[in-house]
Amino acid sequence: MLRYTIKRLVLGVLTVWFIATATFFGMHAVPGDPLSSDKSTTAQIRANLEAKYGLDKPLLTQYAIYLKNISQGDFGISFTQENRQVNDIIKEHFPISAILGILAIVFAALGGILWGALTALYRNRWPDSVIMFLVILGISVPSFVIAAISQLFLVNINALAGTTILPVGGWGTVWHMIVPAMVLGLSTMAYLTRLMRSSMLEIVNTDYVRTAQSKGLPKTRIFSRHQLRNAILPVVTVLGPAIAGITTGGFVVEIVFAIPGLGRYFVEAIQQLDYTVIMGTTVFYGAFLVFMVILVDLLYGWIDPRVRISP
Amino acid sequence: MTKPLLRVQDLHVEFATHGGTVHAVRGVSFDVKAGETLAIVGESGCGKSVTVQSLMGLIPMPPGQITKGSAELMGHDILSSKFIDGQDIRGSKVSMIFQDPMTSLNPTMNIGSQIAETLEVHRGYSRRKAFNRAIELLELTKIPEAEKRAKQYPFEFSGGMLQRAMIAMAIACEPTMLIADEPTTALDVTIQAQILDLLKDLQQETDMAIVLITHDLGVVARMADEVLVMYAGQVVEKGPVDDIFYRSAHPYTLGLRGAMPSNDPQNNQQLTAIDGSPPDLFSPPKGCGYHPRCPNAMVLCNQRAPVIESLSEQHWSRCWLHHADSEQRPQGLYFRPSAAQPNRTPEQKGTSQ
Repeated sequence: MLRYTIKRLVLGVLTVWFIATATFFGMHAVPGDPLSSDKSTTAQIRANLEAKYGLDKPLLTQYAIYLKNISQGDFGISFTQENRQVNDIIKEHFPISAILGILAIVFAALGGILWGALTALYRNRWPDSVIMFLVILGISVPSFVIAAISQLFLVNINALAGTTILPVGGWGTVWHMIVPAMVLGLSTMAYLTRLMRSSMLEIVNTDYVRTAQSKGLPKTRIFSRHQLRNAILPVVTVLGPAIAGITTGGFVVEIVFAIPGLGRYFVEAIQQLDYTVIMGTTVFYGAFLVFMVILVDLLYGWIDPRVRISP
Repeated sequence: MTKPLLRVQDLHVEFATHGGTVHAVRGVSFDVKAGETLAIVGESGCGKSVTVQSLMGLIPMPPGQITKGSAELMGHDILSSKFIDGQDIRGSKVSMIFQDPMTSLNPTMNIGSQIAETLEVHRGYSRRKAFNRAIELLELTKIPEAEKRAKQYPFEFSGGMLQRAMIAMAIACEPTMLIADEPTTALDVTIQAQILDLLKDLQQETDMAIVLITHDLGVVARMADEVLVMYAGQVVEKGPVDDIFYRSAHPYTLGLRGAMPSNDPQNNQQLTAIDGSPPDLFSPPKGCGYHPRCPNAMVLCNQRAPVIESLSEQHWSRCWLHHADSEQRPQGLYFRPSAAQPNRTPEQKGTSQ
């Protein structure tokens, strides 16, 4: 298990390095640079600035310097936001995105497992039909549409109640988090529901569930100890990619709900070709996702003993 | 005679499917006595598994339905709604082992816990006490290093070991009856013998009854006291094991025997298959279910269902050949001695098609 973990971590570092490299060269291949958007720069000022930021050096040298810096955890200074360290931007705004993302994934996973199991138990009866209809809506309607609709809904509810039951946007308290997290997790939850449903339906007919029945176990125990744990396995498998989906989906939801998360910086940096911020946020997100995927795989091993033992 | 442990009477089980209703079990009756082994034999689809699964409440309902019949275990009607879902009987008084041990155990739960679970539920043991007892049970079923093995998972066991673990699980609550649904079909021959010996040993120690489902007559000969031969959802012949083997009275039983390989190298016997296939149980035949395949079929067989004709106190056959008015005496079949008539003809040319 330890060897496996180490192996995965080493592979993870390699993945992050690859992400950093690809982003670095891809970014430099885009026409223009962070300085070209400034209005009136003389050739002299421009040369000075390039020298200051090291943009005058050959690309490979810049790459080497950059790798050295990020290996020391230094993402550099933003081009467009004066004197702001990229590290500070991440430190300040990432926790907000992370909380939102974690809430969304918890909501999606618990909801998906619960609804999926429920639809399987009530297969072809009305709870199944209703939930499966909602699931298709959840998968097919984009999150910004649902975000906007939920805001409209909140505005009306608050107007009806006369007070603010739940805030429509912004950030600060737990109440601000609930609706954005639900909107963000919704499509993932819908997807997990489908997955859980088919997985449960498969498990219900397995020999070992029949064995459990022949042992005279109460239904609840068969459900919790024999069906659920085995049915969850496919859901856990897709949790890694699901986290990635939720993280990127977060950019949109953050903007709609005016949440000061990292996603906005990510998008703005690309528009302005803010090299250091692009690199910083991409590498950081990349590392975060790689780490989460490793974590999910380790979790999988914990749930499924067959994965635990084999190398 | 002592009162039987289990008495099944006129059991009918049907399955409603899109294509119609399958009459899987059509009036099965039998008794099981304590300490004895009853074997139920027959080919795939003859209803033997459905019969025992309905006793265990393992028939999914719907689509399955027990339309008629009763089953009494030690005076309890186990087909009543009180017991069919209930936990009082299943797993404690009657337990069951299955055909494929590889898939019959939960892959994500260790062996010890799966055995212990039964004790926790039925005996109210604490987790720890139940687990310790599970280790003892694994030792009892002759699994080496039981303590280490109990913490392992099914994928770390071989097929034979898994079946031992299944047996350990089944006998955990000292059931009065063990149902073994083709317990050795998925195992190789040497392991088969070990498992059967284990079952026999356990039976002698605990005096439990065993209901053994199989299509392997070798297993029957080794294990059974009494045998039911099933065909198309009905029992066609029933009797003590010696009668079934040496005094086979139903053409189907004889057919099965003909299809059984002998382990005598001198015997250059040709295996004879039973031609054709079992009848469609969507619409069971009006007459005898076996008649299209029966070498001795008569016109009557297609028209009227045969009735039970007893051959001795414990041995009977459901075949028109044994009816008092029948004059057919095909070779190889056993007939009631008193019914042997002097004017019988050895030739069977007269058999109608």
